[in-house]
Amino acid sequence: MAETTAAPPKPSSSVKLVLLGEAAVGKSSLVLRFVNNDFQENKEPTIGAAFLTQKCNLPHRTIKFEIWDTAGQERFASLAPMYYRNAQSALVVYDLTKPTSLVKARHWVAELQRQASPGIVIALVGNKLDLTNEQSTEDPAIHGDDEGSTTETAEAESDGDARKISTKEGREYAEEEGLLFFETSAKSGVNVQEVFTAIANAIPETQMKGARGAGAAGGTQTALGAGTERVNLTGPRGEVGAKEGCAC
Amino acid sequence: MFNLNAIVQKAQSLIDSSAANHKPDSTPSKAEFFRLQFRLPESQSPLHEITAELSLSAPHSTRSIPQSNGEKARSSDKSDRGNTYIGKFHLSESFLCFSTQNTSFLPHSTLQASSAFTGQTHGAGPAGNGFTIPLCAIRRVERLQSQNALFALAITTWNGSIVAGKQATPANVQKFTVQLAGSRSACERFCDGLKKGLKDAIKEMESMRSVISQCYSEYLLSPERLAKIDSSQINSSKDPPDAGLGMVFRYPGDAKKLRDRSKMRLWGEYFRENGRNATLIRQPTFHKLIRVGLPNRLRGEVWELTSGSLFMRLQKPKLFEETLSKYSGRGSLAIDEIEKDLNRSLPEYPGFQSEEGIGRLRRVLTAYSWTNEEVGYCQAMNIVVAALLIYLSESQAFFLLSVLCGRLLPGYYSTTMYGTLLDQRVFESLVEKTMPVLWEHLVKSDVQLSVVSLPWFLSLYINSMPLVFAFRVLDVFFLEGPKVLFQIGLAILRMNGEELLDITDDGTFISILKTYFSRLGESAYPKSENEKTRGITRFQELMVTAFKEFSGITQETISEQRAKHKDAVLDNIESFAKRTSIRNLGPDSKRLSMDDLGFLYDRFYGILYEREQRMQLLREEADHRAKANKLMANEIVTGIPGNKSVEIGRVGLGPSPTQMNYDAFREFLTGITRWAVTDSPTSPRKDSVSETSSVYSGHSGRSRSLSLSPWGAGAEPTDHDFMQRLYGKWNIEDRDGLSLQNVVSGLAQVKGTTDLMSTISYFFDLYDDDGDGKVDREGILRISEALLFLTRRGLGGILTSPSSSANNANGDSDLSSTNIDERFLSSVSAFIRRCFEYADPDHPQHESTGTATSQSQLEDNVNAFSIGDDDDEEDLLDLGSGSPKSLPQSPSTPSSTAPKLHVDPSQKANPTSRKASANLALDPANPLHITLPTFRMVILADELLQAFFESSFPNSFHLSSTSSVSRTPTLSTFAAPNGLSSQLPLPAAGRSGGIVPPNKGLRGVLDNIVSDGMRVAGEVRKRMDEAQREMEKNAVSHRHEDEDDEDRAMAGDEEETDRRSVREADRDLLEGAEADAGIGSKGQMGQDELLILGDPGSPRSEKSPAEKLVDFEH
Ligand SMILES: Nc1nc2c(ncn2[C@@H]2O[C@H](COP(=O)(O)OP(=O)(O)OP(=O)(O)O)[C@@H](O)[C@H]2O)c(=O)[nH]1
Ligand SMILES: [Mg+2]
Repeated sequence: MAETTAAPPKPSSSVKLVLLGEAAVGKSSLVLRFVNNDFQENKEPTIGAAFLTQKCNLPHRTIKFEIWDTAGQERFASLAPMYYRNAQSALVVYDLTKPTSLVKARHWVAELQRQASPGIVIALVGNKLDLTNEQSTEDPAIHGDDEGSTTETAEAESDGDARKISTKEGREYAEEEGLLFFETSAKSGVNVQEVFTAIANAIPETQMKGARGAGAAGGTQTALGAGTERVNLTGPRGEVGAKEGCAC
Repeated sequence: MFNLNAIVQKAQSLIDSSAANHKPDSTPSKAEFFRLQFRLPESQSPLHEITAELSLSAPHSTRSIPQSNGEKARSSDKSDRGNTYIGKFHLSESFLCFSTQNTSFLPHSTLQASSAFTGQTHGAGPAGNGFTIPLCAIRRVERLQSQNALFALAITTWNGSIVAGKQATPANVQKFTVQLAGSRSACERFCDGLKKGLKDAIKEMESMRSVISQCYSEYLLSPERLAKIDSSQINSSKDPPDAGLGMVFRYPGDAKKLRDRSKMRLWGEYFRENGRNATLIRQPTFHKLIRVGLPNRLRGEVWELTSGSLFMRLQKPKLFEETLSKYSGRGSLAIDEIEKDLNRSLPEYPGFQSEEGIGRLRRVLTAYSWTNEEVGYCQAMNIVVAALLIYLSESQAFFLLSVLCGRLLPGYYSTTMYGTLLDQRVFESLVEKTMPVLWEHLVKSDVQLSVVSLPWFLSLYINSMPLVFAFRVLDVFFLEGPKVLFQIGLAILRMNGEELLDITDDGTFISILKTYFSRLGESAYPKSENEKTRGITRFQELMVTAFKEFSGITQETISEQRAKHKDAVLDNIESFAKRTSIRNLGPDSKRLSMDDLGFLYDRFYGILYEREQRMQLLREEADHRAKANKLMANEIVTGIPGNKSVEIGRVGLGPSPTQMNYDAFREFLTGITRWAVTDSPTSPRKDSVSETSSVYSGHSGRSRSLSLSPWGAGAEPTDHDFMQRLYGKWNIEDRDGLSLQNVVSGLAQVKGTTDLMSTISYFFDLYDDDGDGKVDREGILRISEALLFLTRRGLGGILTSPSSSANNANGDSDLSSTNIDERFLSSVSAFIRRCFEYADPDHPQHESTGTATSQSQLEDNVNAFSIGDDDDEEDLLDLGSGSPKSLPQSPSTPSSTAPKLHVDPSQKANPTSRKASANLALDPANPLHITLPTFRMVILADELLQAFFESSFPNSFHLSSTSSVSRTPTLSTFAAPNGLSSQLPLPAAGRSGGIVPPNKGLRGVLDNIVSDGMRVAGEVRKRMDEAQREMEKNAVSHRHEDEDDEDRAMAGDEEETDRRSVREADRDLLEGAEADAGIGSKGQMGQDELLILGDPGSPRSEKSPAEKLVDFEH
């Protein structure tokens, strides 16, 4: 809705994306950051689900995200199928400062893998990076370039570091399940665009809406794998994700 | 004047027959309809009702002209006598109510007949014109002399002077007359009831006063305030009562635009003429004033009144504060969730950016979560309560929230939110009905309506519409009930109908409506010439559409639709819950198939569900019908079963038990094993076993005809040490019960592995109480008992060739006729013997004293109590050799077992010396134990035991039929072919075992083998105890004891001969029984099977259809 870009005519397609995760991990805030580049300290809990759209311009195509931001409280879980129905991508969000939220995230991943459309692209996102030590001051670009730099801070309990889930833990789980993995902050904006761009890149063109009926490459979950990698998904894993930069 | 007599006559017959007794009426619908109509608390019941004519004195103004659109209300001579209404007068424990609406609470009033009040309100709300007045607010009732000898009462209320407590000014006095229309006796009964009620009500005066003093209307009309306004003094001696955060942080919207002042004036006028708060009388103007929107400061009070939460508050004025202090300092999951959302509730309203507002919100939500722990806290409640708090004090909001969750939005905020989902289905079906074209378009475009409408209902439009409009919806909602939410929803779609026909996806759907909501305040007809028309806002247009065009949507419609969709919605929720729950069971669950897990889930929750229901039914039985009836009525009215209803425990309805206690576990086991079913049921069984056992997994159409026996209609479980151990072992966290997770993990270990070794060590662990890797003498005996216990209904699944069964070195036995169960008995006794033989002494020092002889001593020991013939050293029970012919052809066999347990005569000859030397193994001072390797060795030494651990034991747990068949083909010898429902619980005949009535002869014989086997272990134990006692006692006493033994042995022999003769007679009966067996129902299969086990060669096995099932000897 906050679409402003007057892009040159490029193939455009829409992608349905659903956000899942425990209550108050920051799902709505991530969407708000992505869509409006804004952050609100006291965001109302989502009731049922909220719907927003945002375009993402890749060099060779435009992707319009239709975002379903769901409610996180446990008892809303039975509503979720209504929202992830036909979704081509999902953001499963947890709170880096709350261990239970990763457990919940695992449940969601399992549910999506069993119940959602085959081939759904899932990104695992650890949010509230600003509350941990390493990211509040660091440049986001430094982060996630190599494993060493992130894992060493993982268990740090030092001054004001509220991190409870190490980067390593999240990443390893994501690798196991073949998920995209990011650590973000909706508050500072770190890695937020990157998540969405990576998803946009990871969605095979055959899976796009419109091309949906064409059978598509069902079940080709692209193992884009590990790391808080930004767009440059190098290596053999990025075979489907076109290596395009996102200009959204 | 209107002549009442005709009506009176007509009504009389009905009233008198129904109100003949003075007791509270327990008719379900009546009481509940009554409470719903007058918005009364649960404690109230309709005690008396009578047709009456209400005459109100002439209003000071002429504004309130009653409508007469089809209502019975009649204005008679409005010029001088005021309004007169004909209706029904009701008396409950603490309320006097009057309504012009059809309130025929007949004993068997149907939904149709009694839901008239939920229909169109004809300008006066669901309760019609009339009142709901607490008895304690009535000051005086006088009987008037009336011309036609009818009863006429003049009622004076405390209106306006409750708080002041002093004489009301004449202008304030509220007095009206009621003419009762009924037989003399009916009128007298009513008056007596009223008198009694008034007397009882005096004590409620105090709480009444405190509650009323918090009503803004009291302040509004207080003489002091009026005086001050006149003298334009600002500082009042009395502060206005708390009318919500709005008093501090402003009310939403522009008061001027909302015409708040003139609304306030109108309400002031209405109050003066018709009474206020507790003594308010509803006349048509009341409803009209509500439809145009309530003024800010009175909004909360009128909500309280129309929703009935005021009456709840009257009953327990301190409940809110008391709840808070009672639970202060305690934490809960709900509280954590509440804390998370406190800062996230209407954050745009200044009151909720302050500690004051946040604090109120916290207290109300917290207190409610304690009073209704089943609901606890659900997101959206924070938004709703935050909105309420703008107009209500904390305590008021607390009670209004209770009414919301309990009566107005049933099941909305429950843990499964079934009420929300159900109403979404209802809404969809209403859209389909009223706007078929739009509906078709939505379906075609694959747009799901509920993604849009769900938040409307869940948060009562509060976060969909601008606040001012949402509150207008709430005004009507509290007066008219849940149907308003549907009417508004339908109207919203109608208003946007054309645009919506163009949408192709969820996105546009949502954005069209978003835009619409944001423009609700704009003119609906901006281009109109007419200024007045131009002044109509889109919101007004919406309201008119909702209540005019969709006036056909009544509470009855909603209830019907809810009832229609309820099962489907609950099934959905349940299958979702099942899926999720199974998926989250953890790694152990991977060892079981999906079918098995699904089966276990159904069985697990099925048991819990049925037990809950049974408990509930039993409770109600004791509790009289009253309570159950009330709950049923609630279901009829709302279309949703209340949480306390007969469907309690159903997963889809909300929090249901998730833990299985030991009794439930026993019951659970009867569904998956045969050995857990008792041999001697205490209650006669119902025949329809297969139906009821699938009650749960069938989801819909579950039968409610539950047996009231403590075990329901299912098989009655037995109790055994082994089951207790299994329970203990599975209960890893050592809590009050087993979770599904525990059960799955537990079963994964016994069933998920077909690995012999791990099953053996699992079994061993069960008996290794202290986990030190050793099982002591006691444990060995218990294991043997368990082996017999588990196999007492046969050793399903073991195929043993005759040659291999020779392992017992039972050289002279006729193998082909040796029954497998008999041989298993031998194996078990051999097991005991070997265990003792190879056991390690606990204390090495004992060993050192008798190293050289220990082995032989042990053997002697064993002989000392196992004896039959000297050469029969291998068995405690000499079944095979003693009786070449197998059972039941040889009825002597079972009898032969018992005597053999008795002490050999040679022992008796020299008991003291013999025992003293022999019982090293039994010597309590000489404890011994076996270790896992020993145990394993002993098991592996016996082919039958090995087979038991390899297949019978794991296979004795039956999960989903498919998997058990595929996994263990031999199981078919054990299981009926049609899966569990037919196979379990045990056939009727089997359960009567043990007792052996004459006509169950064959079965009895077999049972005796089993129980004799159990007795072996028991006997061994007894001997051990004796031995122990002996060691402790002086040798002198031995003689005596042995005589006892001898006596007992002889007595036993006599008994045996008796029994034998009985059995012979049984055998004859049997021939007849066999003939029947072939045509017996499936339920009898188990019996047949057991029978044939004992007699594979019998001619019957050829003709019996059950033959293949059991004929594993070949
Ligand atoms: N420090 C910090 N706070 C955040 C971040 N993202 C969200 N929050 C805060 O966390 C709270 C919850 O954020 P929401 O975005 O509403 O969370 P949600 O996951 O949408 O919650 P539900 O709708 O209830 O499921 C809000 O108070 C946010 O301000 C972040 O990256 N850093
Ligand atoms: Mg949210």
